[in-house]
Amino acid sequence: MNRKHTLAVLAALTLVLSACGKKEEAPKPEAAPAPAPAPAPAPAPAGVAVSTISLGSAIGADKKVTQAGDAFSKKDTIYASVDTTGTGTAILKAKWTYRKNGQETLVKEETQTIVPTGPATSEFHISKPDGWPAGDYQVEIFVGDKSAGTKTFAVK
Amino acid sequence: MSEDTPDFSNVESGSSSTATKIYEVVSGDSLSKIAKREYGNANEWKRIYEANRDILKDPDKIYPGQKLKIPPA
Repeated sequence: MNRKHTLAVLAALTLVLSACGKKEEAPKPEAAPAPAPAPAPAPAPAGVAVSTISLGSAIGADKKVTQAGDAFSKKDTIYASVDTTGTGTAILKAKWTYRKNGQETLVKEETQTIVPTGPATSEFHISKPDGWPAGDYQVEIFVGDKSAGTKTFAVK
Repeated sequence: MSEDTPDFSNVESGSSSTATKIYEVVSGDSLSKIAKREYGNANEWKRIYEANRDILKDPDKIYPGQKLKIPPA
């Protein structure tokens, strides 16, 4: 092997070796999407709580009963005034029932969603154009699906 | 209907609050109808419109499912 030939072989070997040593250039990764910002913490559950439930046959502009009582006549509109404390969004529900011989009959359900910014008073009312059957009744007030209290009353 | 079970199907009910209420629009509603129901006066529709200018561009266009703020009476 002459010197020229030897140099050529060495050059070829060097090329092969350097090619083997060359790292394959990895394709540039796609720009990763910016990580989503951590979700804001959920607001605290509505801190609305019922403090007082009052019954009456009339209310004032402040939604509080002006004629309190737990016995009504057949033609009365019956009001349940509900005082709440706290702030947030809350679903108030009034469930009116008629009770006789241990049986409970649904009279009416009514809900309202309120967004108080402090102490508030909400009212629910029911009336029956042809008059209430005499007997015992109850109204149960819920905040969300949790009972917040009941009041019983009678129609005479 | 048995004698022991009174008929309560014609019972009328309502509610109001000193706090702002949230009302979900149903089919057939208009701001006037909502005002009539909430305030007893259809002409009060502007109060509801003003309280909801962030979501209402046209007082004649409200849609079922929209949740409107109802200022206290």
